[in-house]
Amino acid sequence: MAIAHTAAHRIRGITTCVPSRVFDNARDATAFPPKEVDAVVKMVGVRQRRLADDTTCSSDLCRAAAQDLLHALGWEPATVGALIMVTQSPDYFQPSTACVLQESLGLPDTCAAFDVGLGCSGYTYGLWLAGMMLRNSDIQRVLLLHGETPTRFCDPTDRSVGLLFGDAGSATALEAAAPASEAKWWFSLHTDGKGARDLIIEAGGFRDRFAPDHRRHFLSMNGANIMNFTLKRVPPLVEETLAAAGTRPEAVDYFILHQSNQFIMRHLAKKCGLPLDRLPITLGDFGNTGGPSVPLTVTRGGLTRPTDRALRLLMIAYGVGLSWGSALVDLPPDARLNHLIYPADVPSPAPSA
Amino acid sequence: MSEQEALGWLAKLFNQPPESITAQTPREDIPEWDSLGILTLMAGLDERFGILLADDTLKAMTRVDDVLQVLRSNGKLS
Repeated sequence: MAIAHTAAHRIRGITTCVPSRVFDNARDATAFPPKEVDAVVKMVGVRQRRLADDTTCSSDLCRAAAQDLLHALGWEPATVGALIMVTQSPDYFQPSTACVLQESLGLPDTCAAFDVGLGCSGYTYGLWLAGMMLRNSDIQRVLLLHGETPTRFCDPTDRSVGLLFGDAGSATALEAAAPASEAKWWFSLHTDGKGARDLIIEAGGFRDRFAPDHRRHFLSMNGANIMNFTLKRVPPLVEETLAAAGTRPEAVDYFILHQSNQFIMRHLAKKCGLPLDRLPITLGDFGNTGGPSVPLTVTRGGLTRPTDRALRLLMIAYGVGLSWGSALVDLPPDARLNHLIYPADVPSPAPSA
Repeated sequence: MSEQEALGWLAKLFNQPPESITAQTPREDIPEWDSLGILTLMAGLDERFGILLADDTLKAMTRVDDVLQVLRSNGKLS
């Protein structure tokens, strides 16, 4: 197991962003019989989802979130030392989406910018990377962006995924802090490539770039294998993270799970002994948005935040790869949380003179 | 757990009337034992008996006795 801890940094804010188009599964799904839709909605727990249109990429959702955050925190773009873009729905094969965003956000050419190609587990890995950068370099500020548009690579007539996924982007601002002033963050990170084919888009990459069968260009999921993996791997992940940090479940304010599937999440909660009143669920309104479901649950999960201390959050993320990871982190009382609808909440560029 | 109790547990899991199923009941006679039902069965066996079955094993089941056989081989039936 890869257990890690980082320190001397803090979250200054998180902004999440979803597309404006609402897809109500019960009302709008026409690819399946109504009875089947009802059964899936009841079990999986996805009432509605946000769908990006054909011109909206994960980078657009992340850019809007990042601009909101930079403005709200009063961060000059020139002060951002690194930009991490975690996504499996990039704009291009080349260049990295992070480079495109560095330019459009007006970040300096002294900014380290790179993509991380992880999905469901991506937020925990992104926080780990950001924490290490702040601890082990002169970088003082990091923007962690995490966005996915899974509805753009799902076949809407595929029973295993057609009613499940939604699109979302996020931006998290992290800043270096005095070592003694902040609690350590703890991580446990894992990989098992034996399950790579359980959640896969087979074509489009260089293994099979122009496959004539269009279905191979869409996401294929073996739901039962993914559920088996989750039930097998996540409970030990929770235990080992708490043990490494020398803490107990009672000391965690909220358990922020990747919003995979209500049936799986409830079963996991029971198996891990996690109290449901400290396990916010946002899946009903947004669907499974992949890795960004973790920050989305922080901003939209209705967390009760005390004014005099940080919230201790245990983030648990698992899925495509197969990859799974945890992050036990603090959310300071002054950290700004916000949520945007794209493009409605995004200011239009000023007309040029 | 006796075989009769296991049958009752399985009937409840699939929202069937108690005592409506026997060891010989085929899977297709239980409407809720469909593709979603496989997940229900996986979770049910895990929660009640601590048995986490692989997808292939679950999909290969064709009748109730296949479930009982799993319980037997794991020492869960008296």
